[in-house]
Amino acid sequence: MTRIALQLSINGERHEVVTEPHRTLLDVLRADLGLTGTKENCLEAECGVCTVLLDGRAVNACILLAAQCQGRDVLTIEGLERDGRLHPLQQAFIDHGAVQCGYCIPAMILSAKAFLDECPAPTESQVREALAGNLCRCTGYQKIADAVLAAARDLAHLR
Amino acid sequence: MSFYYHEPTSLAEAIALGEEFGADGRFLAGGTDLMIQMRRGKLDPRHVVSLHRIPGLDDVSVDGAVTLGTLVTHRTLERHPAFQGRLRALREGAEVIGGRQVRNVATVGGNIANASPAADIVPVLLALDATVKCVSPAGERAIPLDAFLVGPGETVRQPGEVLTSVRFPALPARSATAFLKAGRRKAMEISVVCVAARLVLDEEGERCVEARIALGAVAPRTSRAQSAERALEGRTPTPEALRQAGRLAAAECRPINDVRASARYRAHLVETLVSRALGRCLERIAEEAA
Amino acid sequence: MAIGTRVVGRSLARVDAAGKVSGTAIYGADFALPGMLHGKVFRSTTPHARIVRLDVARARAVPGVRAVITAADVPAVRYGGAVKDETIFATDKVRYIGQPVAAAAASTAEAAEAALAAIDVVYEPLPAVLDIETALASGAPLIHEAWEGYTAIPILQRQGNVCNRARIVVGDVERGFEDADHVFEHRFRTAVVHQGYTEPRAAVASWDSGGQVTVWSNTQLPFEVQNTLAEILELPPSKIRVVVAGVGGGFGGKLRIGVEHFAAFLARKCGRPVKLLTTSEEELTAAYPRQGALVELKTGVTSDGRIVAKAGRIWLDTGAFAGSGPGVASVATLVLAGPYRIPNLHLEGFAVYTNKTNCGSYRAPSGPQANFAVESQMDIMADALGLDPLEFRLKNIVRDGDEGPTGQVLNAVGLEECLVKAAAAIGWKNRRPEPGRGKGLSCGWWTTTGGSSGVYVKINPDGTVALNTGAAEIGTGALTGAAQVLAEELGVDLGDISIVSADTFSTPFDLGAQGSRTAFAVGNACRAAATDLTRQIFALAATQLGVEPDALALTDKHVVAGDRRLSLADLARLSQQTGGGLIAHGTFIAPPTPYDTKRVEGHVYPAFHSPSFHAHAVDLSVDRETGEISIHKYVVAQDVGFALNPTSIEGQIEGGVSQGLGQALSEEIVYQDGRVLNPNLTDYKMPTTLDVPRIESILVEHPSQVGPHGAKGVGEPPNMEPPAALANAVASATGLRVTSLPITAEKIALGLVDARAT
Repeated sequence: MTRIALQLSINGERHEVVTEPHRTLLDVLRADLGLTGTKENCLEAECGVCTVLLDGRAVNACILLAAQCQGRDVLTIEGLERDGRLHPLQQAFIDHGAVQCGYCIPAMILSAKAFLDECPAPTESQVREALAGNLCRCTGYQKIADAVLAAARDLAHLR
Repeated sequence: MSFYYHEPTSLAEAIALGEEFGADGRFLAGGTDLMIQMRRGKLDPRHVVSLHRIPGLDDVSVDGAVTLGTLVTHRTLERHPAFQGRLRALREGAEVIGGRQVRNVATVGGNIANASPAADIVPVLLALDATVKCVSPAGERAIPLDAFLVGPGETVRQPGEVLTSVRFPALPARSATAFLKAGRRKAMEISVVCVAARLVLDEEGERCVEARIALGAVAPRTSRAQSAERALEGRTPTPEALRQAGRLAAAECRPINDVRASARYRAHLVETLVSRALGRCLERIAEEAA
Repeated sequence: MAIGTRVVGRSLARVDAAGKVSGTAIYGADFALPGMLHGKVFRSTTPHARIVRLDVARARAVPGVRAVITAADVPAVRYGGAVKDETIFATDKVRYIGQPVAAAAASTAEAAEAALAAIDVVYEPLPAVLDIETALASGAPLIHEAWEGYTAIPILQRQGNVCNRARIVVGDVERGFEDADHVFEHRFRTAVVHQGYTEPRAAVASWDSGGQVTVWSNTQLPFEVQNTLAEILELPPSKIRVVVAGVGGGFGGKLRIGVEHFAAFLARKCGRPVKLLTTSEEELTAAYPRQGALVELKTGVTSDGRIVAKAGRIWLDTGAFAGSGPGVASVATLVLAGPYRIPNLHLEGFAVYTNKTNCGSYRAPSGPQANFAVESQMDIMADALGLDPLEFRLKNIVRDGDEGPTGQVLNAVGLEECLVKAAAAIGWKNRRPEPGRGKGLSCGWWTTTGGSSGVYVKINPDGTVALNTGAAEIGTGALTGAAQVLAEELGVDLGDISIVSADTFSTPFDLGAQGSRTAFAVGNACRAAATDLTRQIFALAATQLGVEPDALALTDKHVVAGDRRLSLADLARLSQQTGGGLIAHGTFIAPPTPYDTKRVEGHVYPAFHSPSFHAHAVDLSVDRETGEISIHKYVVAQDVGFALNPTSIEGQIEGGVSQGLGQALSEEIVYQDGRVLNPNLTDYKMPTTLDVPRIESILVEHPSQVGPHGAKGVGEPPNMEPPAALANAVASATGLRVTSLPITAEKIALGLVDARAT
């Protein structure tokens, strides 16, 4: 199978990747680029643990061909920190006990970020609706919702 | 899965590739159906042709009639200001599929072409008397959605033919739409049953002049409950008339038993949801008039 | 409450959170080694059959494939938990759809899949036993024809397709039923459900030149995996090292060997590291889900609401291999008794073989199934007697000093407080606020599993503390809790403690993250280590300060004598020169709980240690036409003994209820002719953010005599009561009693239609 050459922009950095056309963004992130913060599970867009931001919007990396991402910006969890400082969402998840096993958390945080970027002062019900595509088995979602609401308030103060 | 990947930058190029590959090729829109079917081994195309670099396929144009480009995402439908009020069913049908991640990429055209009997916006489009436009080297054709859908996963689209847009006429005065869905959990659900309805009342707002009731997940394809529609047309839509429409729709649907629900429950839901959806239409017509 | 403590009792942030939110924490599924191959497992497609022909020659020839192995390539060993009935690959027979028959390793996962597609296998179908009733019928085909010859725990009561019958007998139930004014008999059924961890099971195995294998995995219990590997590789345990890379949820499903053995065998064959990762489909067809159950309960009560006799049987469909079945069947009898004073009991738990997925342990094994039956029947009886379900329970619950069903003496019984508080929080006085709306209660008791834990604790040269534990952190935060206990003992901050865990080579033995035992047992091991470490610190400091050790105090990371002090950092550096360093070994094993051995038979788990008590209450409305449920409020009151970290405990409650709601309302692995119809997350329906309400947690504290600061196990109990609480609330709201799980909208809607028709 002929491989294709791709220029991908991941967390603001350019990566040259040569790979088979059928490989997904998830495959390339985890296996080729060593960015294992984006997780794998169902591979069918049902669980959300592979969520990344594509041009600022939450998508499932498991059903996105790497080839489709050429010329677009991908943000993974590794790209959220700035100069070693955690994003307010990351800090809020720590502070509110929203992390248990943590496997769903990178995806959850990115979904929340995309949501808060367009809806900075949400209600709990809106937060839950925005995160409905991210399954968590450990937390029952309550402290996750609390953390996102707290982060929204923190981000508002920072503006 | 293993394939050659193509990214045409014009519709003409896509059509040419479609003709070249025929049944050996598949068009890729959002990927929420195609990628999963490829991974499960149900489809194994030699060529995948992504449409996302073709300009103009994701336009929404509203000039009385509404035209949705094939690549319009469910997210766009959810948020478009035109799909509030009487056309709210389009938003209601779009906002219940998957989670945000899926809705950010899943397209109208992909949903129609995939022709799942349980699709959510397809019943809404059917209730709106939508027409689908397809383009091939032989030219363009406009096909009423009701004629476009054949069976589970099957449409009249030929291999290589590109579905470019779907269009539905303007809503007349004193009409509205509604959409309802039932599932086992409150999100990330493939419908156990879904119902889309559109009612048009006469000038006095008393009798129904036109009714459309489209059902999902209770037949091999999304279908209209025509005996229920006929029973309403020309009559005053009283609560009993709505309940009777529900009963007629339940009697004419052909649900199956599967892992999601029994046929009996599906028929029962049709009765309830049809009558409720029709009730919502009436409420929205009244809101508009007020 | 945390009075007079600095660290324990506080809702401190867990120590591993930063790595998890930044995506740097590595899990078993992420782990990789250079040059590693990818493994895949070839599985049976028929539920019961003889293997007539198995030919892997074509598979071995697929490009990129380095090895294909079958039973012919591995030792002919039978292994297992209570019954050694399992083989690595099927040998002469397959016994469930999904049973491993072969495995392949290749340079890519796709090539490994291609190898599987090239395996030639021919099966001769045998009559399949697909449910409990068929398995128990006389003349039923035997799933294990050679069952009698299997090695098994001697006390098990095995016969044919029953791999254990556990029994509790107290008093005389027949006499009790005669004395009763009313006797109630009911049957209940529950479905198979999966733990639903978001990280699939994974393992990477690599052999060194000395014939030693290291396996990186996401197991909850590396020492169990080490033991099993030793057995089936026919090697001494010292040749096997199991390292837990990081666990994305377990809930009991990652306690026993998953894919580690395939990785080890393939890696040895290929001379290269091999990684396996299970798919969602494999998880839903060939993992260790919760047994489906059939329960029969017969209970005698007096007219004024005293329970005088209970006879109960629970059959657990344990699938093709015994797994945890025999133990779970034992535990089930204690849950069937319930936290009630009942003078006459005859309770039996059966683990039954069928030709389906072999089941295992899932968060409070047998708890939800048995509690669903007991607590549903309690409400049915209360209703029939015209009694308030809360008052009926309060009249019969156990109190301090009472005996449990097997004669253990119960103390620290916080159940009344839990029931009263849960009921108050849900507004119990107004049980049916409006049509279609009702409130339901459920209560229960559970164990804090015993077993051994060991830790090493040392002071680093900078005065911080290293905690080395054999327990894995599976997400509950238990190791943070144990670290809080340690920090409290040593007078340091939680942030001063770093944790190394779960490596069979370098960490002490631990019975694993299971049974709600981790914070309890590791916490106590830390206390033991801290005591010895403090003695060492004082001994060294005494020589430096020229005083007796007993004149010293440990305060604020310093050893103090009058106005002279030495920092822990100074002492640690000094100790490197004076010999040995400051390091202590602490162990803990819970003392056995005395019980009356004459009351039990075939019983692997005859008492609940440091038992916890809990009550759930729910307020919901039912859409009578669609059957859909909307939950207005959900309350949990749980006796945790002592809340080591309240936020962590709330997290356990909220997550446990969420899983419980899934089992109660939407989850089931559906079998037809032995095949799973919904082996994917589209149709195995776990709760989303929109399906789980806010949960109010009330932490009640009746301290354990054994746990650190009085703590009891907290992780499993929240999973037990949701099904019964919901069933009771639905009955209150609609008059409809649903006796099988899950309580779907379909069952409610059609149940109401049928009720109207009669």
